[in-house]
Amino acid sequence: MAGNRLFVRRRDGRIEVRLNDAGRVVAREAFGRVVIAERDPDHEWHAGLNAPIDPSSDTDDPVSTLNRQSDIATNAELAVMTLNEEFLNESEAWAWLSTFQLALRSVAVANGLVNGERLEHCEPEILNFVRTLQQFLFSLAECL
Amino acid sequence: MTTETDVATEKFVATERPWNVVVWDDPVTPMTVVVVIFKKIFGYSNNKCTQLMLRVHNDGKAIVWSGPRERAESYCVKLQVAGLQSTIEQDQ
Repeated sequence: MAGNRLFVRRRDGRIEVRLNDAGRVVAREAFGRVVIAERDPDHEWHAGLNAPIDPSSDTDDPVSTLNRQSDIATNAELAVMTLNEEFLNESEAWAWLSTFQLALRSVAVANGLVNGERLEHCEPEILNFVRTLQQFLFSLAECL
Repeated sequence: MTTETDVATEKFVATERPWNVVVWDDPVTPMTVVVVIFKKIFGYSNNKCTQLMLRVHNDGKAIVWSGPRERAESYCVKLQVAGLQSTIEQDQ
């Protein structure tokens, strides 16, 4: 089983990235799209990254939304910068996990995947992207 | 020296209803990821994180923290940055 893991915690504490070239292409796409979507209000993932904090209020506190925007961008940019690394430290691994998870949820929001049935009947390309991100997340979460 | 108005203000602050941080279920997020995020953000035990995750999964949502509004908002933002669907609401 260990041979199939995509991320492995080493004895020195670092996390080894065992993604092949195809896996890194998917990771690059996910990280890159989060970076772009955070900046572009017209991007299909933008709504997924900017959900309401307090739905009972007409507008959220601008300081909180600015903090969120900044933290999302910081994580996603760190993930992009470390995309070709063989080993990740704790902060980098957390940035990867957060950005994969944001990408996953943004795909779900953008495509109306509100329940399991909608997920199973979505376009094969989207379903494949979702399943791949879930695999990455399963494996990375086991290391953290 | 404390005036009558000051006392009344202090009493209001002390009895203000707490704000809840709510995490909502979605069909795509792996359960293990939810547990890892709760541990990282709140520092809860593995057992408590698993119980909260199961409550989100089974009930569609769970209150994961309660307290002053500012802190609730800060935790909500951290959860959103980590990719979970989270909101705040004042306790009923």
